[in-house]
Amino acid sequence: MKRFLYHLVRLMLALVFIYAGAVKMQDVVTFAGYVAAYQILPYAANYLVAATLPYIEFIAGVLLLLNVRIRPALVVIGSMTLVFMVALISVLFRGLEIDCGCFDPGGGQDVTAGVALLRDIGLMVLVVLTWWLRTSGRDEERGTWDEETLS
Amino acid sequence: MFSDLKRIGLEACVLIAFGALFGLTLNHQLVVDAFSGQLVSPLRPATQESVPVALPLPVLIDEVQQVMASGGLIVDARNPELFAMGHIDGALSLALVDSDALLPDFLARISKDQVIVTYCSGFGCPDSFDLGVLLIELGYQDVRVFEGGYPEWRDAGLPVAGGSQ
Repeated sequence: MKRFLYHLVRLMLALVFIYAGAVKMQDVVTFAGYVAAYQILPYAANYLVAATLPYIEFIAGVLLLLNVRIRPALVVIGSMTLVFMVALISVLFRGLEIDCGCFDPGGGQDVTAGVALLRDIGLMVLVVLTWWLRTSGRDEERGTWDEETLS
Repeated sequence: MFSDLKRIGLEACVLIAFGALFGLTLNHQLVVDAFSGQLVSPLRPATQESVPVALPLPVLIDEVQQVMASGGLIVDARNPELFAMGHIDGALSLALVDSDALLPDFLARISKDQVIVTYCSGFGCPDSFDLGVLLIELGYQDVRVFEGGYPEWRDAGLPVAGGSQ
């Protein structure tokens, strides 16, 4: 049961981060605009973040999907989520309107900082849960889980 | 246990370095342009075949003030409701969503050599850029885009009008 749950949360996290990374990779410049809207980094640094972050998210997601290097991938994903949460809290405190608020041809709704923060808390819970299931599962069933693929 | 954590940390760093390297390899031109102070167009580079000959130049908040001071026209590309809730003082409303209806009047009133700066709801909002492209296609010679838009202007404490601001 624990093993099933482990694979379930692992795959959920993997898909979330692969999707998040892939979408942002499609349009790095627009993503840079979103980063800039947080008004945390200097102008050029927004582009540096936009040019690298989606790829890190994507690779970490792929590792989770393939069930290799799980704990390093979780450390990376957890750290990124933590940084996002701090950024979102700072946005909330400064009362910035990071929503586009303009006409969207795709019809999609922008996500407010509060909703995004709640979503990040959910992701953080999944990260911790995956770590815990991964570690305790291996302790309990030492020898039955394949050490090579899980390490 | 400690060596285990150390190994995990090291592997996490390798993962980040690998991802960053991968991203920089694919986007190095964008990053170089940004750090060398060249303003980067919010349009995706060279993916569309029918890129207009000229694109609106992105400007920063200081330049918007200079343009205003020298008689340039500031154009709000957001919808009329947002314009009514608050806009850059002195801006003209030309909502991209209503541009078909509004442009004939705009074309009749504003001469083609007028310096124009468009804006909308800040970074991530494409309307000001799209409107800028449209105005250039219609023959306006100097169209610029204020990417920071209304949020940056308002947060900088500069004059706004409308709404309860």
